[in-house]
Formats: sequence, C-alpha cells, structure tokens
Amino acid sequence: MSSEPIIRCSGIGKAFQLYAHQNDQLKQILFGLWKKFYKEKWVLHDITFTVGRGERVGIVGRNGAGKTTLLQILCGITMPTKGVFEVNGRIAPILALGSGFDGLLTGRENARIGAAILGLSRKEVDARIEDIAAFADIGPFFEQPMRTYSMGMIARVAFAICAFADANVLIVDEALSVGDEIFQRKCEKYISNFSRKGTILMVSHDLVFLEKLCDRVLWLENGVVREIGEPARIIADYRAAMVAEESQAAGAA
Amino acid sequence: MLASIPPAYIAPFERAWRNRELIRAVVRREFMSRFRGSFLGPAWAVLAPLLMLLTYTTLFSMTVPQLSAGMSVMDYAGGIFIGLIVFNLFSELAYRAPILLHEHVNFVKRSIFPSETIAWTATIRAFTYAGVAFGVYIAFRLLTAGTLPLTIILTPLLVVPFFLFILGVVWFLMALGAFTRDVAHIMASIVPVMMFATPIFYRLEQIAQMSVSTAWLLRLNIVGDYIEMMRAVALDGDVPNVFGYLIIVIVSYAVFLAGYQFFMRYKSVIVDVI
Repeated sequence: MSSEPIIRCSGIGKAFQLYAHQNDQLKQILFGLWKKFYKEKWVLHDITFTVGRGERVGIVGRNGAGKTTLLQILCGITMPTKGVFEVNGRIAPILALGSGFDGLLTGRENARIGAAILGLSRKEVDARIEDIAAFADIGPFFEQPMRTYSMGMIARVAFAICAFADANVLIVDEALSVGDEIFQRKCEKYISNFSRKGTILMVSHDLVFLEKLCDRVLWLENGVVREIGEPARIIADYRAAMVAEESQAAGAA
Repeated sequence: MLASIPPAYIAPFERAWRNRELIRAVVRREFMSRFRGSFLGPAWAVLAPLLMLLTYTTLFSMTVPQLSAGMSVMDYAGGIFIGLIVFNLFSELAYRAPILLHEHVNFVKRSIFPSETIAWTATIRAFTYAGVAFGVYIAFRLLTAGTLPLTIILTPLLVVPFFLFILGVVWFLMALGAFTRDVAHIMASIVPVMMFATPIFYRLEQIAQMSVSTAWLLRLNIVGDYIEMMRAVALDGDVPNVFGYLIIVIVSYAVFLAGYQFFMRYKSVIVDVI
C-alpha cells in the first residue's frame, strides 16, 4: 500500500442552483451575464481528502449529508462549484444500479451497452460477456427482456458489469442492499478482493461491513467532513451521535 | 491524462471518435429496442415511406395540382417524396431533440456518460431511416421511370453537410430543452409552419416567378436549399450551383460547431437542472 494518491480532493464545494420557476433556468442562460435568477444551495463545503492507491475508504453520514453528490463529482458526472479534484485511474461507478437499462432488451444486450458506457471496446465486451453472465448468475433470465427482472436481478447484472470493467477505482453508493444474501456476500467478497489491486471509495449504511472492510472512514455531515480516520473510532463516534440525536428527538416529542 | 486539446473545428469529431464504441452500442440498442416486440420489425422502416409515396402518387395522379406545372405525375410525386424525406429528417429531430436529455436522464445523471453522444445516436438513427426511405425512392424511380439520373452519385456530398447541420441543431435544442420544456412546445408550433415555408410541395423557382423578395426569404431556410439540391441531383439530373453549395456547406459547418460549443458549454450545468 503506497501513499501515492489516487483520489485527491481539495476544497471541493458544490452549490445547486435553485430556481423559483423552471423558466428562470432559461432566463439564466439567456441573461445570466447580467443577472442571477437562482439561489444557491450549498450541499458540500470545502471537502478535502486524499485516497491512496489500494486504500479502502468508507463514507458514512445521514441522508442528505452530500454523500452521493460527492461521489457524483468524483465520477465526473457533475462539476464541483469550487475546488479541484483528480482521480488517477479508470473508475467503475456503482451508483444507482441498473438505472440505465432498457426494459425491452435482454440482460445480455443491456450488459453490452453498460460495458460500452464504462469505456470497454466491443472486443473487450465479447471477451467478458460470459464472465459477466456467470457473475450475475441469473440463469436463463440473462436472455430475457429486463422488464421481467426483479430488482435484485437487475442489481446483479449491473454489479457484474462493473465487476468486469477493468477499473482500478471502485466507487460504490450503497448499492448492494437490494441483492439477496448470497449475492451480497459475493459482492462483498468481490469488493474485498478488489482492494488488493485497486482503490475503493464506498458509501454504505452497513456500518459493520464498513468497519470490517475499510482502512479509513470519512464522516460527512451537512456537507462538511466531520471526522476522518480509523474505522472503529469514527463509526463509534457516528453511532454515538446518532443515538444522541435519537434520544434528543424522543425527548422533544 | 488529458491529451493535447484538438482545435475547435475538429473537437466534436475527436470526441465522437473516442466514444465510437458507445455510440455504436447505443444506436444498436435504439434499433433493437424499437423493433423488439413488433411483428414486422425492420419492415416498418420500409413500409412507412412506401405508404407515403404511394399515397402521394395516387393522389396527384387523380388531381394534378397547378403546382406540378408541367411535370409528370411521377416526377412531381418523386419531388415531393424527396422533399419529405429531407424535411421529416429535420422535423423528427427538431421535435425530439428538446426532450432527448429528459429521455436519457438515467444515463446522464447516474453514470459516467458523455451526453453529447446522444445527439450523434439520435441523428444517426434518423438518417438511417431516411436512408431506407431514399432506397424506397430509388426503387420507385427505377420502376416508374426505368432510369436514374447519373448525378445521384452526388447525394453523399449533400448528406454529409446536412448531417452536420442537423447535428448542430440537435445539440442546440437538446441543451435548451433541458432548461425549459417550452422548447418542445415551441418546436411543435414552429415546425408545421416551417413545412409550408419549405419547398416541399412546390419549387423555389415557382415562387421566384411571383415575387423575388419572397423567394429570397425562403432561400434563408437552409433545409429548403438542401431539398432543392437533393431534387436536382436525385430527380432532375442537374448539378447544383457550386457557389450556392459552398455557402450551404460553410453555414452547415458553422451551425454544427456552434451547436457543439453551446452544448458543451452548458453540459455541466444541465446535469444539475434536468
């Protein structure tokens, strides 16, 4: 495990533009040079951290803390409003599993497109498609239109694609909760094997899993890094804060 | 990781080339998805234009309107058909472009997806259908007239700049449409009007006899220019005015580059507003 940074964020901030009316978006484009038609809503403030090669970093935080936005920025899906970041490597984003699938096409056909989106060439896809089918392990359903799939089956195909994308950075957004026990264990095994050759950044609410898997944990609260460090310590703090808040809420009620 | 940045006038091609595997996969998906679950499948791509052509021919053989002005029914129907192929290409994409990003919102928001390729795939798809329709036209001409003008080999010279022009328009409308749904409504009201301002059912020279200023106004409609040139090479056997052709190529290329710049400029904002 070297200290060469694979992911480096410095001072990342993200503000969404909130528009009172949808047409203000158009006005913003046309007249944006002269007047501002939106309010800014900052969801991330000054996020700074680095992830070294081969490191496994978990992210915890409550809903709306900015976890997904942070991952989206790192994947290059959305741009940060300020700050800079770099990711040195090919990313496999496991964000919202299967959201890009076409229900009319079979699992195999969707897997080919999904792999192409991740940057694989047709030859590479040809070479891997059977492995993807085997990893997804949904039997004859792989040749059926995807609209007949259950949520768990969709997640299996989606994860299988990412697993064979030849990435060296895995970015996972609490995606594994839909699969059944067997598949979840398969994914967890894959993720812990992956960390031998690649870098992992994952959001999860499964604190036990994070504590077991991660080298470090980052606690995000209201868009700022509240703590980062030893998984055992951070997760204990996070749990304590949750419990405290819960009892406070109970006391108020 | 960033290679040397290519000059602006080839940047769109460079990006598309880098994403060629993806573009191909998505185009394939669009076709598979469209024909899946339909009994006739790809035959629809032939049947729809065939039906249109037969309707026009039958209609005009019964009531040859004044507009045909000395042309044979087959020539007139063929001329309309070419006009409609070109115009439908434009109108289909003009209708669809503003909602393209909304259709692909899952790709755009949930994965690392180069959204500018959506314009390529939509345009390629539309041109493929137009190509099939053009094949129907060629078969129709061979059956009715028994021969095709030699100048038909020049069609690729028109198709390529028209493709770039359309692509530029799609990028522009795609970006605008992401910001406000009104664009789709605007297109739905403008395009039918444009249809009559475009020389589909008539020819520009017929207008020129009436009023010079009107003709010049209609000349500004670049889709109409393409239709006229397309008719010249595929029906009349004329070679278009080279000067006029060059102007159209330059304008198309400018639209292409401007559309691309516009889209790329707002690309990062679009993800957040869509």
